[in-house]
Amino acid sequence: MRGAQSIRQGQARAGWLFVLPTLVLLGLFLAVPVLMALWVSFTDWNGRGSPFASGIGFVGPDNYRELVGKDGGLTRSDFMTSLRNNFYYVLLVVPLQTAFALFLALVLNQRMLKAVGFFRTAFYFPSVVSSVAISLVFLFLFSGGGVVNSMLDAIGVDGPTWFNDSRGLLHLAGDGLGLWNASEPPSALADGGMLGLTWWQWLAGPSVALSVIIMLVVWTTTGTFMLMFMAALQDLPLDVEEAARIDGAGRWGVFRNVTLPHLRPTMLLVTTLGLIGTWQVFDQVYVMTQGGPGKTTLTPAFLSYSYALENQKWGVAAAMAFILFLIIFAMASLQRWIFRDKDALELKRQERRTTKARAAAGSAA
Amino acid sequence: MSTAHTRTPDTKPMVRDRTALWLFLGYVVLVAFAFIYLYPFLVQLTTSFKTNTDAVSNPLSLVPDPFTTSAFGELARRDFPLWFTNSVVVTLLVTAGRVFLCSLAGYALARIKFRGRSAIFTAILAVMAVPGVVLLIPKFLMLNYLGIYNTYPALVLPLLVDAAGVFIMKQFFESIPESVEEAARIDGASTFRIFWSVVLPMSRPALITLTILSFQGSWNELPHFIVASQDSDLFTLTKGVATLTSGQLGSGSQYPITMAAALLMTIPVAIVFFVFQKYLVRGGTSGAVKG
Amino acid sequence: MLSSSRRRQASLAALALTSSLALAACGGGGFEEEGGSDPASSGDGPAELQVLIGSSGDAETQAVEEAAQAWAEESGNEVEVIVANDIAQQLSQGFAGGNPPDLFYVDAGVFGDYAEAGNLYPYLDQMADADDFYPNLVDSFTLDDQAYCAPKDFSTLALQINTEAWKKAGLTDADVPTTWDELETVAQQLTTPDQAGLVLGLGRDRVGAFLVQNGGFWVDGEAGEATATEPTNAEALEYVQGLLDSGSAVLAPDVDAGWGGEAFGTQKAAMTIEGNWIRGAMENDYPDVDYTVAELPEGPAGKGTLLFTQCWGIAADSPNQEAAVSLVEAMTTAEQQLTNAEAFGVMPSRESAQADYVEQFPQDAPFIAGGDYGQGPVNLPGLGPVVADLDSQLEQLKTADVNDILESFQQNAEAELK
Repeated sequence: MRGAQSIRQGQARAGWLFVLPTLVLLGLFLAVPVLMALWVSFTDWNGRGSPFASGIGFVGPDNYRELVGKDGGLTRSDFMTSLRNNFYYVLLVVPLQTAFALFLALVLNQRMLKAVGFFRTAFYFPSVVSSVAISLVFLFLFSGGGVVNSMLDAIGVDGPTWFNDSRGLLHLAGDGLGLWNASEPPSALADGGMLGLTWWQWLAGPSVALSVIIMLVVWTTTGTFMLMFMAALQDLPLDVEEAARIDGAGRWGVFRNVTLPHLRPTMLLVTTLGLIGTWQVFDQVYVMTQGGPGKTTLTPAFLSYSYALENQKWGVAAAMAFILFLIIFAMASLQRWIFRDKDALELKRQERRTTKARAAAGSAA
Repeated sequence: MSTAHTRTPDTKPMVRDRTALWLFLGYVVLVAFAFIYLYPFLVQLTTSFKTNTDAVSNPLSLVPDPFTTSAFGELARRDFPLWFTNSVVVTLLVTAGRVFLCSLAGYALARIKFRGRSAIFTAILAVMAVPGVVLLIPKFLMLNYLGIYNTYPALVLPLLVDAAGVFIMKQFFESIPESVEEAARIDGASTFRIFWSVVLPMSRPALITLTILSFQGSWNELPHFIVASQDSDLFTLTKGVATLTSGQLGSGSQYPITMAAALLMTIPVAIVFFVFQKYLVRGGTSGAVKG
Repeated sequence: MLSSSRRRQASLAALALTSSLALAACGGGGFEEEGGSDPASSGDGPAELQVLIGSSGDAETQAVEEAAQAWAEESGNEVEVIVANDIAQQLSQGFAGGNPPDLFYVDAGVFGDYAEAGNLYPYLDQMADADDFYPNLVDSFTLDDQAYCAPKDFSTLALQINTEAWKKAGLTDADVPTTWDELETVAQQLTTPDQAGLVLGLGRDRVGAFLVQNGGFWVDGEAGEATATEPTNAEALEYVQGLLDSGSAVLAPDVDAGWGGEAFGTQKAAMTIEGNWIRGAMENDYPDVDYTVAELPEGPAGKGTLLFTQCWGIAADSPNQEAAVSLVEAMTTAEQQLTNAEAFGVMPSRESAQADYVEQFPQDAPFIAGGDYGQGPVNLPGLGPVVADLDSQLEQLKTADVNDILESFQQNAEAELK
């Protein structure tokens, strides 16, 4: 008896000892810092000395009000601009990277295909390379007289000066379709607005410069997600597919009715990771554009960094970080809800019903 | 698309043709994508041996004319060797620390029964949900507060543990049959001994996966290094190379230099990648959260 | 940079702290107010000074290094010169960390922020011959009537003209533009399908010169007010807009250049408006391009240019302030300034050095002339994001409504300054 107890005690001690370093480090560099930043987001600390010194003014929710409140001048419009940019970025990157990843995984999943390993390696390689290195390469590829423009030139297209082009893609598209004249925005859009930006500005779409970053990120992340899809596809029993074929389903039918439902959990994982990652874009902006041209590549993460470390506006910067956190959290939850497994829910409900019925039958017996 | 599957012999060649056609289309797609994926690296490689004039005026050419290694010489003259050394030191320390601490914690959470275990696991899961970029400013505040801002420990300590790593290891340890440890326990081995000499040796695949993920993660880390130090002696590759783009007045863009820097910083991860590819390919599906 | 022993101590302390916290079993983490490096009373014993500079290149680094070592030897102190990669970021992390370098470059544009936050030690009145600095430079480093730091040197904007293009267009010395109309004419004449007449770098610090020539500016530094909506400013911007619109002038990014000098050096434009620093760039990167320098043309309100300057800032937290002041004195002697001028092309901030300078560098006469009528940059505190916003709007100057730009700047600046 005593032996067992001392073993249990020893176990408990060992357990705590094993997790302690991890807990301390996570606490020191994750939990506590978040609380400190939360405090800073309610102060007017200007970056000199300690934010907990007695002279630091507590300003309540002022910093938050400056970001989203009724009359927050430039800070609010900067923040809203960054949210707009990041929103369009997410809107394009997540579907594109998911679609390409799934597409490549399906192509690579064909039986009889040779050299799968080579192609898989080629597509995955960019995911392991430093974003700084890749950003440098893309800076060269997309420079005014760079590789991409030379290629476009060869087919008779006059490429833009990518990183200096702040025109929004939606503005350009509307212009092209004759919906409006981009240099003279319709007054219905240009005069009204909300939260410091006009409707016209909200509807700009990603700028040409931002779309380079979008291409870069889709290019780098597709490989990782492709691997996830490939792993899931390998779990799909061959005979299921075969059976469906024999039942007369075409390729498309098999894909829609057999493959896709099977991939639903992976899809959820891929899009969740994508969402979380894309709302945090920082490295590429820091290396390539620093938010320009015309603030069209400004993202909340970069803005928060530059407000704190370049403009000494620490309180507002910390508040931005917390709002960004809320956005990521909300997006991930929303997306979880959209992807919730309706069949599984139904199954559970049925189970419950049968148990109830059985219980009822049992008590009746 | 409705090819009713019949077994009459004369339709067989048609089916085979179709399969061949799909296969052919598959190759076309794959080769096109392989071009898109590999061409930038080719450009990077060849441009780093060009002169700047050549790089700007013949961006498409994959043959340096004239061939020069002056970009590498220039990097050597700047602080590049120092950045490289710093990156190596930081990456090795972080990788070693992460693998050890994450497997310790993962083992405790998977196998050791103690009060508070599930609460700790929940806490770690919650921590995983905090997006890294949100921590930029908080981390700086903390490092500053501890008085280690702008020191080597500031570069290393905060990266030492990684909630996702704990999670991966816990998952793996749970898949090991418990009977293995029972035998050792009956022999009176301590918990740490069992962990160290029985369980760890069985965990090679997971350990390698975690090693690679940690190596790659810390080698490529940028935001943390930006806020953890200001001293140019403490620059790592990512932070140092990022400064090469901010073309100060007087120096226009020097593409061969930036391409050479990008090339050199890619080589170590490329080596690790090709050597341990199969582990990475497996591990990449379990823990990589990259923007 | 911390001296290695100080850094080692800090690291050890950190490790000790982490491990003690580990032993305390996660006891909630009690952080105490950091004692801070107790300010060693300067004077006793040799000081170890750290000097952080934002260098324009090797020549500048070397010149500063040599001067610092000479001082160190003579005074028996130690100096370490560190070249910053991003001086603004490195300084602000230093300030927040309580361990800024002792001595560092402070650009006039950020001076206001630093001074207001209490990061700078005002020492100018302690210097022996402080009256010798150009008064308009000292003004750039004055906040609320307190002059803080000694101007290191200065530079101004002037007009650079590509000699070959000039001749090709059939122009002579007599055609060098002295008025806005003449500038417009020659820019037009110089414009070819491959070469724009004039290239302008981005932002308020180039276009601003035209505002000064028309009698206005973005702000009134002395009154601490924004003055962007004065009608003279709109006129000046409209003039520049006209140049851009006609195609005889372009902005640097339009021709794939990072700044005016790059576009000028690669001959994508025949003229540009840049400061003294262009000399070094042309010598190093584009030695084959011949050019001449002229004063900027007069606007309706007379001559006007922009004046750029940096001062030697001493950290309020520095324990070595006395030694730092002595180093600044050594760095700003007329003699040293002439050495610097030779090494990296900046102009002395002391009036007593002017005559020698002009004699030594006759070709720089247009730049030094600007010292008399130049306007310093926007240096009011807290305007960082506001001027960044202005710059980003000016990218679109060609098509934007100039009144919108000026009004939004005015509004944003007023909100920040009130």
